[in-house]
Amino acid sequence: MSAAATAPALTFACKTADVAVGKPRIVPYGRLSVGIFQLEDGYAALLNVCPHRAGQLCEGPISGTTRQTDKTEFVYERAGEIIRCAWHGWEFDIRSGKCLVDDKLKARTFPVHVDGDDIYLEMGR
Amino acid sequence: MFIVDTDVHNYWSSAEVLLPYLEPYWRDFLVRGEKPGPTGSFPHGHRPWLHPEGFSRHDIRPQTEEDNYLIMKEKHLDLYGIDVAILTADEPLEASTLANYHYANALVKAYNDYMIEWWLPKDSRFKGSIIISPTDPHGAAAEIRRLGGHKAIVQVLASHGSQRPYGDPFYHPIYEACAEVGLPFAIHFGGQGGVNHNAVASGPTAYYWETHALLSQPAMTHVVSMISNGVFEKYPDLYFVVIECGVSWVPSLMWRLDANFKALRKETPWLKMLPSEYCRRNIRFSTQPLEQPQNVKHLWETLEHMDGQNTLLFASDYPHWDFDAPTNLHIPPAWREKVMGLNALEVYKRIEAPAATARVA
Repeated sequence: MSAAATAPALTFACKTADVAVGKPRIVPYGRLSVGIFQLEDGYAALLNVCPHRAGQLCEGPISGTTRQTDKTEFVYERAGEIIRCAWHGWEFDIRSGKCLVDDKLKARTFPVHVDGDDIYLEMGR
Repeated sequence: MFIVDTDVHNYWSSAEVLLPYLEPYWRDFLVRGEKPGPTGSFPHGHRPWLHPEGFSRHDIRPQTEEDNYLIMKEKHLDLYGIDVAILTADEPLEASTLANYHYANALVKAYNDYMIEWWLPKDSRFKGSIIISPTDPHGAAAEIRRLGGHKAIVQVLASHGSQRPYGDPFYHPIYEACAEVGLPFAIHFGGQGGVNHNAVASGPTAYYWETHALLSQPAMTHVVSMISNGVFEKYPDLYFVVIECGVSWVPSLMWRLDANFKALRKETPWLKMLPSEYCRRNIRFSTQPLEQPQNVKHLWETLEHMDGQNTLLFASDYPHWDFDAPTNLHIPPAWREKVMGLNALEVYKRIEAPAATARVA
């Protein structure tokens, strides 16, 4: 088997300068689009379609959230790691695409590769 | 498919759009008077609950007043092929929370004139609602008679927050005026604050999401009150439209009402039919926010008990955070044509039927 057959198909998404922490870049993906996010430790990409009701997931606010606690307290954590869908405000982990309340509900993620100033996505099929 | 969206909020960026439409005396109130927020906020008695993320979808970001229409056109009307959009205002519904009913009347009157002059001419798909403040039923009736003849006005609309159940004879001047001009009376979620302090039974809840889940509570009271007080005997052709109050509670309430009525009919001898029969004949419910059970069949079975095929009207609630897209509405496929548009033709007689479609009998 050749190396080319096993290497993932990469699609150019945008330049690293196009994305900043807290400021995702939305790029076209066929008739849909993908949000590219910069996090403190790297990049992540999510299909811009919410698995709840197909809203523009990546156009909502990026935020943190409250930790689940055993008493009445508000522990704010994970700042910058949560995307809140632009339509209905459901919370998703930007890295895993999982909905915070129901992790069976998952937004589609794409592996991200950075080559110099270029960001590529593994789009799969 | 012919789509009538019965709940489209025509936003403004600032309530100061009303200034040209206010009498000078009331203009001073809006310019120099106290407001619940910064310049541009709409006067209202505030509700006990503050939405922690704001009411609007975050992909709707108007920069100018004109954007409020242009974004709605692009992201809603054109995107989904909406044929008719019934404008339901937004903040003006909150005028019902003000104790000064003269000011409330002036504000809704200014809004109605603004809506007719600024919104209706923009798009042939638009139909308007006359917003009233129910705190002064005679003032509301005068406003209904003032504008009720406008051909693009299709309903009279009040907040579901109120001081009394809407069937109370106190409000009947409103229905008399509606019947006279031939318009339905509709209520929409809102007006939960100020003088309308009974918005949630047992007292105010603490969090916005729990409050929102209870939005059906006042609607239940109003539905029961309209039936029991004989509004639909006095005005048999009046449609009462309940907007954004949920729907799956209707069957269980009707079961209880019918059973109670069979025993205690003597309390309300003016009623000639079962409560559920008045509901079926005179009351319609907008779909949004449609309940979302794990198994959608559980919802559909419930909706069958309220004859949902004939009593539900599609609504999106654009551009709010609990918006329902027409492409994602989980109703039985066989009901779609009626719920999405044809049922609305029965209620809103001034909406023209599409050429290829006969009006529902």
